[in-house]
Amino acid sequence: MDYGTTNPDEVIKHARIDKTPTVKISHSDALRCKFELKDTTMDFANTLRRVMLAEIPTIAIDLVQIEENSSVLADEFIAHRLGLIPLNAEGVKKLKSSRECDCDEYCDQCSVTLTLHAKCTGEENMQVVARDLVPAGDRLNDHIGTPVITDADGQGPLILKLRPGQEIKLTCIAKKGIAKEHAKWAPSAAIGYEYDPHNKFHHLDMWYEENPKKEWPPSDYATWEDPPDETQPFQFDAEPTTFYFNVETAGPLAPDAIATEAMEVMMMKLAGLVNELTAGEGGSGANGLESPGFGGGGGDGWQDGYTTPSGFGAGGGGNQSSWGGGGGVTPYGTTPYGGSGAPSW
Amino acid sequence: MAPRSKTKTETPQGAGDEDAPMSDAPTSHQPTTEEVDESMADPDEDEAVPEAENEEDMLPEEVQRVRILPGSTEHAASFEFLEEGHTLGNALRFIINRNPDVELCAYAIPHPSEPKMNVRIQTFEGTTAIEALTKGLRDLQDICDVVTDKFVDARQEFASGVTA
Repeated sequence: MDYGTTNPDEVIKHARIDKTPTVKISHSDALRCKFELKDTTMDFANTLRRVMLAEIPTIAIDLVQIEENSSVLADEFIAHRLGLIPLNAEGVKKLKSSRECDCDEYCDQCSVTLTLHAKCTGEENMQVVARDLVPAGDRLNDHIGTPVITDADGQGPLILKLRPGQEIKLTCIAKKGIAKEHAKWAPSAAIGYEYDPHNKFHHLDMWYEENPKKEWPPSDYATWEDPPDETQPFQFDAEPTTFYFNVETAGPLAPDAIATEAMEVMMMKLAGLVNELTAGEGGSGANGLESPGFGGGGGDGWQDGYTTPSGFGAGGGGNQSSWGGGGGVTPYGTTPYGGSGAPSW
Repeated sequence: MAPRSKTKTETPQGAGDEDAPMSDAPTSHQPTTEEVDESMADPDEDEAVPEAENEEDMLPEEVQRVRILPGSTEHAASFEFLEEGHTLGNALRFIINRNPDVELCAYAIPHPSEPKMNVRIQTFEGTTAIEALTKGLRDLQDICDVVTDKFVDARQEFASGVTA
């Protein structure tokens, strides 16, 4: 397999791992995807976990225009409940971000409109559920923005209840976003992240009455790894390389799509940064990154100021920084308070 | 027993008179942001702009997300990333530290309320800090590539196992 310009062997050498990462899916259905990520490092596994949790774009109700609300619930309370209703995020990649769209507030290119109109005309209290949210106007495809309904009755989450005579009429604007901004945009309900089922690395200190081995039930993955060899001394510098994920979807995206989307989000993020770093290359040594304090005498000043072995000592030979004072070597070297560079700690 | 009360001496004497005027307040250390809306509000200025340039202005302004912090040199630099956090920071730090030409790499989020992440890189003679950073990002890209491929393969394998 070709992985572009960089030799994968070189990457692996850097990762201090002898093999290329591997993925094994042990279970996958509409609700969850369990997979094993092997021969990688904890920092990468954690990055994948964090991206799956908070940085995959989905769609959720962001604006609510209430025309009529004679229910017992306050407008803003209902608006909050509406925001948390999972909506189908199929094709959300083609949906523009509302902030980047050319329109004034929202349009078909950057939002999906849903309407809700319910009045209790009967004798009994009436339930208003997510199924009653009707997509209106043009959509990118027939699925995006439709409330996710997984219950047997096909009703979806309950929004509110109406007494006889009460009425609710509103319009919702669903927009694209990520869970880092608000949890309503989270694609996953939960992400299981596990490693070292036998606690070989002693990352856990298990509480116990008499014997932790008897009192703590083994993980499902305990059979996937060799039990620890009690005759061997403790490997204090060993690092985990195998990670077990359990991605559980909240409905907007399929669980396996969450994992692949996460990788794509990560790639886009990295590609953007690499682009920015290499954009100015080929010019006169400028790389577009330089801030006023960089360059001019910086090299010499650094040598002069490099008085401690760690390099974080006396200020960097008088580089002027935007924080005033004789600039330190690190961003922390100068404080707004100290006039003359960093204290020599 | 006397009721508890604030002692009279706690009241500042002539507090109003001795307030420092605003002009004496120390200047902010935050970089001043240029008002982008200002030119938009001015109709004359808008008309004066030639069409070709105007079109460029219409494009969303590219925000520089990485910059070198002041006081950096070729082999020892601090980078400031905007809108990044532990997600990228930790993985980047690990991958850069694995570069044998790198003496030190560390990252920090200076304040939780600011969407900023700083990365410090100090290298040996063989490479520069910028090269080390670029290499780190590229290495991460390669790992993402490999894992994506492997995941897609595994998914196909699982799907074929289910249908078979």
